[in-house]
Amino acid sequence: MVTAPVEVERPDVDEVVAQETPWVTVVWNDPVNLMSYVTYVFQTYFGYPKKKAERLMLDVHEKGKAAVSSGSREEMERDVEAMHSYGLWATMQKAGE
Amino acid sequence: MSASFHVVETELLASLVGQLLELVRDHPIQSQDRDDPLADVLGGVGVDDPGRPTDPVLLRLFPDAYREDDEAASDFRRFTERGLREKKAAYAATVLASLATADQAADSYADAQQREKVKVHLDGNEAEAWLRTLTDLRLALGTRLGVEEGDEEHWQSLPEDDPRRHVHDVYQWLGFVQETLVRALNT
Repeated sequence: MVTAPVEVERPDVDEVVAQETPWVTVVWNDPVNLMSYVTYVFQTYFGYPKKKAERLMLDVHEKGKAAVSSGSREEMERDVEAMHSYGLWATMQKAGE
Repeated sequence: MSASFHVVETELLASLVGQLLELVRDHPIQSQDRDDPLADVLGGVGVDDPGRPTDPVLLRLFPDAYREDDEAASDFRRFTERGLREKKAAYAATVLASLATADQAADSYADAQQREKVKVHLDGNEAEAWLRTLTDLRLALGTRLGVEEGDEEHWQSLPEDDPRRHVHDVYQWLGFVQETLVRALNT
């Protein structure tokens, strides 16, 4: 798998959401899902631009997990349920944990 | 968009999707008590309050939403699993329906060799259903096989007559179909 170059240095998602919101949706790496599909899901469901979706996908792939969205507990329950409907392995937790 | 398949491939896909449909529709309590006249009553209660699946495939299709809070994970499962099962079943049914339409189109080919090939036409919603169902199939097969990242050589080194090798071939073919579909949707 080829790693796409990252153009801009960005802060880690975990740090950003920890300061702003109480809950995060975390997507975990799994050996089955295609990188292209995971990127597609992040674009389609969250409406993220392709670059951001790819960066999050690579975080999942390389670091084993990534916080992909943040918000209230209810909002994160919706996101986790949606991720499960797409077949992604997602959990939720309080930001910063 | 449209995708071209060999008849054998559509038959294989229909068979797998049919099994997936059974898997996501079948609640454990209903399947155990199918002959029991009270099964519907018990099944109804069970569907509203599903326990944590013991089957690793079901646990992968319906994972815990909380890693360190069993009670919250159980509540989440109670509120979402039934709906998720219905959604996944609906996507699988959509795939079966589009495969059934492809069969009819095949009859119109005059040439005998062409008759072995079928075209599947998908609109946006159908393509989305295909992506999700292909994912669920791969999750089910991958979990059953115990697929790990970068283990392709292991599967290729198995003897030709090892059924796991055949299942892994199918698993990879489903990945190829999905990759092709994602690319088509991105262009």
